[in-house]
Amino acid sequence: MAVTSAAAGRIDLRDLSFAFTNRGGAPLPVLDRVDLAIPGGGIVALIGPNGCGKSTLLRVVAGLLAPATGTAHLDDAPIAGPDPRIGLVFQEPRLLPWRSAADNITYPLELAGWESDRRMERLAALTELVGIDPAVTTSRPAELSGGTRQRVALARALALEPEVLLLDEPFSALDALTRERFDLEILRLWERAATTILLVTHSIPEAIMVADRVVVLSPRPGRIVADIAIDMPRPRTIDDLDAAAVSRAAHEIRAHLAIPTELVS
Amino acid sequence: MSRSTWFPIVGAFIFFVAAWKAVVVAANLPPFILPGPDMVGGRFVDAWLDGTVWPHFATTMVEIAIGFVVGAGLALLVGYALARSALFERLASPYLVAAQAIPILVLAPLLVLWFGSGLLSKVVICALIVFFPVAIATMVGIRSVDRRLLELGRSLRATPRQILATIEIPAALPSIFGGLRVGVTLAVVGAIVGEWAGASRGLAVLINLARGSLFDIPLMFATLVTIALIGVALYLLVVLAERRLVGAR
Repeated sequence: MAVTSAAAGRIDLRDLSFAFTNRGGAPLPVLDRVDLAIPGGGIVALIGPNGCGKSTLLRVVAGLLAPATGTAHLDDAPIAGPDPRIGLVFQEPRLLPWRSAADNITYPLELAGWESDRRMERLAALTELVGIDPAVTTSRPAELSGGTRQRVALARALALEPEVLLLDEPFSALDALTRERFDLEILRLWERAATTILLVTHSIPEAIMVADRVVVLSPRPGRIVADIAIDMPRPRTIDDLDAAAVSRAAHEIRAHLAIPTELVS
Repeated sequence: MSRSTWFPIVGAFIFFVAAWKAVVVAANLPPFILPGPDMVGGRFVDAWLDGTVWPHFATTMVEIAIGFVVGAGLALLVGYALARSALFERLASPYLVAAQAIPILVLAPLLVLWFGSGLLSKVVICALIVFFPVAIATMVGIRSVDRRLLELGRSLRATPRQILATIEIPAALPSIFGGLRVGVTLAVVGAIVGEWAGASRGLAVLINLARGSLFDIPLMFATLVTIALIGVALYLLVVLAERRLVGAR
């Protein structure tokens, strides 16, 4: 599936810089001449220290922020704003607390003007895809567990069948065990939905587990300091994390993150 | 509601009535100073049955209803504008606060002079007194909408109208209802004060008649009870609407 749609969902960032303006009016550079090309159907993990501009980069791709200089393209057309071909999952589930889980999942469809019965059809497919028990879809977000809430957010991001899925540290609020399971489920999802995935993460094992390539950003202003291919066959399992290739990759990533390796066992 | 919630409410009411009666009996008060609850209750029933209260009640209710809808409606619009435009807030808020600081009691005769002693002046007074709490509650509610939800809406290409309907209004609703609860009780006050400043019909007029030309103090108290019941009923109506619209979150 990933092969047939390899053309769609291509992301191309060229010489991309971005700066916020601080209170005094002075520019605060966040991203510095980023060049990044992701082929359609590829999975790239973006890793870097706090405040290095990972989330900002994701928001530029999502069309929520316009780059100061440089270009961002999706399938050869410039990204001019939020695009239905791009699905976004935030760090926190960001659900509308007054809506049921089902109404949160179908929210993008409602905004796009889908009829109710078409929405219900899509809802059934989405809950199955992300593994939500259909019985809990009538519950409000406050009644759901953290993991289920993030599943709802994931289903919402997939509602319009995007070519690209942007994940902004989506599992950072979950416990380590749940998180490992989610990483595997993202891979399973990727095999079925055939989307390009750009994952922002803090976790080296997560990046290696999921991605074809791990891109390391420097501290602010974020520059790409390394682009490391993960040579691990797919489908991957949790046991693959013990392979020699993995520890080599992890070692290299840590070196670029300037983490003293003797302190990290 | 279950028995355990009704029991204290009924108990408190019986205690209130008994204390009232005890004061009347102990101090040996004549009915023209403080009639007992039995006398007021009897007069209340009579006055409703013989049609003394009805025309006044109907007039006051119409004033409250129109005044509240106009005042709260305008307040929702202005409150939204206050929240969305810092310039508008800076320009308008001194006047809004100043208008609120002048007691409605002083303003009422002037408004009756301008708009006549009919329905219009009461609606204006009602709307004026309802306006402030609802406008402020709306402003606070819209301002406190989670920015992250607004970003979500933007990322899903929601139009400004969709953002308003699906994010801003639902998020601000609990705060807006806080303002409406205060506003609806003030609407009753506004109508009564307006009638007091000059009217030919209404519950305030009935109070004036009862203590003046009719000299029927129990009727005056029966009218006071009517006004209080209107306030309680309207407040409960707002709470009921709030439960349906805001619900459990």
